[in-house]
Parts: sequence; C-alpha cells; structure tokens
Amino acid sequence: MAFDPQREDYTRLGLRFASSLDISDVGEATRAFASFGRRFAQDRDSLPQSDSDRAFHLVVLASKNIDYELPFAEEARAKEIIEESHRILDEAIQIDPHCYDALRMKTAATSQSFDTFLTFLDQNAPEVRSYCEEQRAAAEQEELDERRRLLADLAMRPYLRWIATQAEEALICGRNREAIRLCNKAMELDPHDKADVRFTASLAYAKLEDEAGLIRHFNDCGKRTMRACDDAWSQLALLAIAFKRHQEDRALTCIRNIILRYPHAAEALIRQNELPDGVFARLAVAPYSEDELILALSEATVLLQEGVDLQGRGVLSSWVIEKTAQIAPQAMLTVMAQQMPGDPNIDGGKR
Amino acid sequence: MNARKELEQRLALKRRRSLGNMSDEAFEELELAVHNKPADFVDDNEEQAFLLVARALAAHAESRKDDDLLDDMQYAAERDRRNKALVKACQNALALDQNCVDAQTLQLLASDLPQNDLFERLCSLHEDLAKEQGEIEIPAAGDAWANVFARPRLRLQAALARTCINTARFRIAADYCADLMARAPLDALGARYTCALAMARLEDEDGFNWLDAREGRHGNAWFHLSRVLLMYKLGRVPAARRALRGFDQLCTGGAYLLLQPMYVDTYLPDRPTFEPGSFEESILCLHEADPVVCDTPDFAAWASDQPDFLASAQSFCSRNGFEWRDWNEGAQGPRLG
Repeated sequence: MAFDPQREDYTRLGLRFASSLDISDVGEATRAFASFGRRFAQDRDSLPQSDSDRAFHLVVLASKNIDYELPFAEEARAKEIIEESHRILDEAIQIDPHCYDALRMKTAATSQSFDTFLTFLDQNAPEVRSYCEEQRAAAEQEELDERRRLLADLAMRPYLRWIATQAEEALICGRNREAIRLCNKAMELDPHDKADVRFTASLAYAKLEDEAGLIRHFNDCGKRTMRACDDAWSQLALLAIAFKRHQEDRALTCIRNIILRYPHAAEALIRQNELPDGVFARLAVAPYSEDELILALSEATVLLQEGVDLQGRGVLSSWVIEKTAQIAPQAMLTVMAQQMPGDPNIDGGKR
Repeated sequence: MNARKELEQRLALKRRRSLGNMSDEAFEELELAVHNKPADFVDDNEEQAFLLVARALAAHAESRKDDDLLDDMQYAAERDRRNKALVKACQNALALDQNCVDAQTLQLLASDLPQNDLFERLCSLHEDLAKEQGEIEIPAAGDAWANVFARPRLRLQAALARTCINTARFRIAADYCADLMARAPLDALGARYTCALAMARLEDEDGFNWLDAREGRHGNAWFHLSRVLLMYKLGRVPAARRALRGFDQLCTGGAYLLLQPMYVDTYLPDRPTFEPGSFEESILCLHEADPVVCDTPDFAAWASDQPDFLASAQSFCSRNGFEWRDWNEGAQGPRLG
C-alpha cells in the first residue's frame, strides 16, 4: 500500500477533529463528524490543527507537486514546480522544525550526490527516531484503543519513511548489505511492512546474487503481509539471479509470470522507463497495476543496467527486451510505433 | 600469451614422446633445435593449427605497435582489419584441427560480439570441452598450468571469468576463478585478481579476506582497489579512506586512472603481462574493474574528495604529459599499446 500523503493528511486531521468533539452528546458528535469531509476538502482552515498538522499539509502539497505532477510537466512548468516546492518545504520546516518529511524531501532535492544524501540521512536518523518515539509515547497515553493505535502509527511514519529512503539510497549507491540491514530494521518497527521496504530488500539480495537470502526473505515476508511474492519486485529479483547464474529457463519463467500478473506488462518490460524516485515515499499505486510494474522496473534499474553493453542499456536490460519481444511480438511493435520521432513519450522519465 | 614459447614446448614434448626414452641433455638439445626452427618439428594437424595461431598472434601484436600514431578513425579501421585477420587465421587453424581451443577462444574474443553473446559462446565452449575431455587434470606437479597442453582450457576459463564480470555475473565469475585456483594453485593467469573484484562487488568480506590471506596480504592493484571498493560499499568510511591512501601510494597512476579512465582493447586471449607495480598494471586493473566501479556511482567522486587524492592524480597526469580531461568532454584517452 505504501504511504499515500493525502490519506495520511486526512487521518491526521480526522483524529484531531474527533478529539475536539464532545463525545458525551453522541447525536451532536455524529452530525459534526458528518461535516468533516466537506470541511477537509473545502474549508480546511476552519478545522482544528496543530503546527505539525499544518506543516504536514505543506508536505502533501509539495509531494503532489514533485511526485505526481513534475514527472509529466513541460520544462517551463517544471521549473516553476521546483521553485514552488522548495518554498513550500521551507515553510513547512519553519512552521514545524520537526517536520522530518519536509527536511528529507528538501535535502533530497538539494544534495549534490546520492552519497551525500545518504550520509545526511545516516547522520540524522537517530534524531528522527528519538523524536518519533517520543511522539509515539505521547500517543500511547490516549484512552481510546482505536485512537491510540492510529496516533501511534502516525507518529512513527516519518521515521519509517526516513529508513525506507535510506535503504533505497543505499541500494543506488551500491551498498547492498547496508540496504538489507536498513530494510530489516524498518520491518522490526513495522511488522506488516506498510512502508513496503521488503521490495527494496529483494532487489538488494539480487544485487548480492544471494538466492538463499532472497528465499529466506520471501518466507519472512509471507508472515508479514497478505501479498504473495508474485509482485514485480520479487519476480525481477528472481529473474536477475537466474540470469546471473545462467539459468535462462528460470529467468524466462519470471518474465512470463510478470506478463501474466500485470496488465500491459510486455510493453512496460520493453520500455523500462526510468522514473524519478518518489520524494515523499514510493508512489502509492494499486497492487498489480501497470503503474506498479513501471515503478518496480524503474527501481530495478540497478539490476537491469549493469554490465558492459554495446547499446549502453545494460546486459540484463537488453536480454529482457529481446526475450519479451519474442514472447510478445505485438508489444514490441506497439512500443516501436509509440517511440516514432516526434512522440513526446520517447523522452526519458516521461510516460 | 607467449604462444611461440608454448609452441616450442609442445613440439619438443611431442617429439620426445614419439622418440621414446631420452636423457635430459638430449632433451635440452632437442629444445634448442625446436627453438631455432619450430616449423620443422610440426608433425600433425594439431600442432600445425597451433603454429597458425601463434603466427597470427605475433602478426596481431606487431600491427599494434604504431597505434599511438593513428587518430580515432584510423585506429578503429586498423583494429577492425587486424581483428578480422586474426579471426580468419583462427578459422584456418580450425580447418586443420577443429579442437584447437585457443583458435576457438580467440575467434570468439576477436569477433567483437556483444558481451552477453560472448559469454554464451565461451560458456558453451567450456561446457562442451568438459563433456568431451572431462575436467582439466591436475598433474603430479600439482599445478595444471605445468602441463602446456592444458593451458588453452585454463585460458578459456579465465576469459570466461572476466566475461562474467562484464556481464554482471559475479558469483559464477568467482566460482570459475576458485576452480582455476584449485586446479592451478600458482595461478599463472591471475584469476585471483578477477576474483578479488567479484568479492568486492558481492560485498563478500570473508571471501575477500580468504583471497587476501592466500596472497600473503601483499596484493597488487586489483587487491588494493577491491579493498577500497569493499570498505566503501560496506560503509566503513575510515577503513575505506585508509585503503584508498594505500591504493594511491602503491598503484602507479591508480588515482589518475580512477578519475580519468583509459581505453584498453580486448584481451587476446589473456591479460597482457605487466611489471609488478607498473603503470600498466594499474591500467589493466582499472579497466577490468570498470563494471564494479560503475556500480557504485559516487565512488570516484568520493575518492576525488578525499585529502590529496585529486592532487595526486593531477600531479601524475602532468608529470607524465597526459592531458586532464573534463568529464563532460567525452574525449578519448591515450591507448594502451
């Protein structure tokens, strides 16, 4: 499910609103709550909120801008979006210096390299953790079970996103053992893996060509989530390991599994679009949707683009395209037709 | 590959086998005679094929001498011409002896196949040979390299291991290298260097330490660079910094080459020989390490930011009359002849 910033915003304000109601008058409280949805959408300022709620709302706006609008924007608008987002994030940090989501997103955009961003995340992780744990401890004073559970969950999320980003950056930087260590740390705190860090871990195991480790990881994931390991990340990790071990049949089975499981999968496997990583969190998309496959392929760039390849694509990348085109020739024709000169879709990172 | 010397050894050994018992003195005389006129001692198609390969490799090496005088276009044309000539010679050799392993290996290596196709073909060749001839035998002397007739298959396996690195198959690269080191413990082909890179890429510290201990902990450019990469990848920054200083101090031109990669042509069929501690050693090391270095995208920039590293690289550059290129220019560096 990953983290949907708008839903989180809604939950935060909903909880705050509910706590402001007089629950001794059930009828009045129900009527008041019925108006919440409308006020959230149309008259947000009329709702009770703290500085951290306000800052989080700014994070949501920046996330909408950067994660959901920027990848599809024209150049002139893109520049505007970036400037606007920086302003919004600066304001969020000003309103709430503990708005670690804003701090992380701001630094992601201003870091010179993956390495410096990772160093920043590493150095500040303990502070983020202790702040979030304080918030959780405060939440646990709540009397109502449901409220206590939700507040405690919300309190830890900025830290979970922090570790998930650390793991993702570690993977990109070629620090695969570190990526796995971070994912395991996140899953200790988040047993059902709401942050979906297990996908990042799968890719890291494949980078280490550690099949036994990957299988152990799958078994562990089976206890945490309802989803089987037939998601695109798991299949791409297995595919890469089989390819690296020169077990072509197994690798082909993974390609077929992906094609069976995901709509328009063959096209996506041929295109292998590289998208910018979500700065708030991995983009929230529906399980087994085409978008999910596109995200997984983009993150699997670290596997696909390795090795010396004449076309500069990476050895596994070229192989996947070739084999997918053999399995689904029509998909290859579709992609080629779409990538004719003059088609704006041909531009890297845009779909 | 010193093909001429191997040819002489093969011919002398075969002639001794056909003549029967021979004293050491007589064998030395035979060796001298073969050395002076090897062609006179070729008795079968197997050796005739090997002779063709040896001659083709000599011609290939000779034609590379003036590469530095050529511009990029001329170089590409000349390289294409001589590789085609080598492939043709290998085909001629295979017409005489279809089992000539060196001809088969060289033909594949000189054909400029995409790396994954090259891997597939080398792998098939390697597996077919294992099926037909069994495993490479280890003689009483304890090192398969001592048997000159086993060397072509050892070379093939070393080329296969390097191709595994180029196609991002690090675990099996390490397996092929470990197998080579078990069969030929003196490791004349330097499979351990390839293995060190694979261990670094797989972040396999135990594997690297085993290799390093086997080497008596006084490794060469491959070991020094692999250690830096390993420590960097494991996030042990102080250890990575120390290892980087070691790499810079012990590998001639290493810092320069990490920041200014140099073009190296395909190995035909094995890693060129080099003086320990030489600039050539560093060139070959950085060339082979390229897939591993590229997999850690900020590694070179990190190294460049460490105290004195950039200065060391630039000072080497100016001392040796090279030109410092900006990353964005994409100009070609000097070639290794």
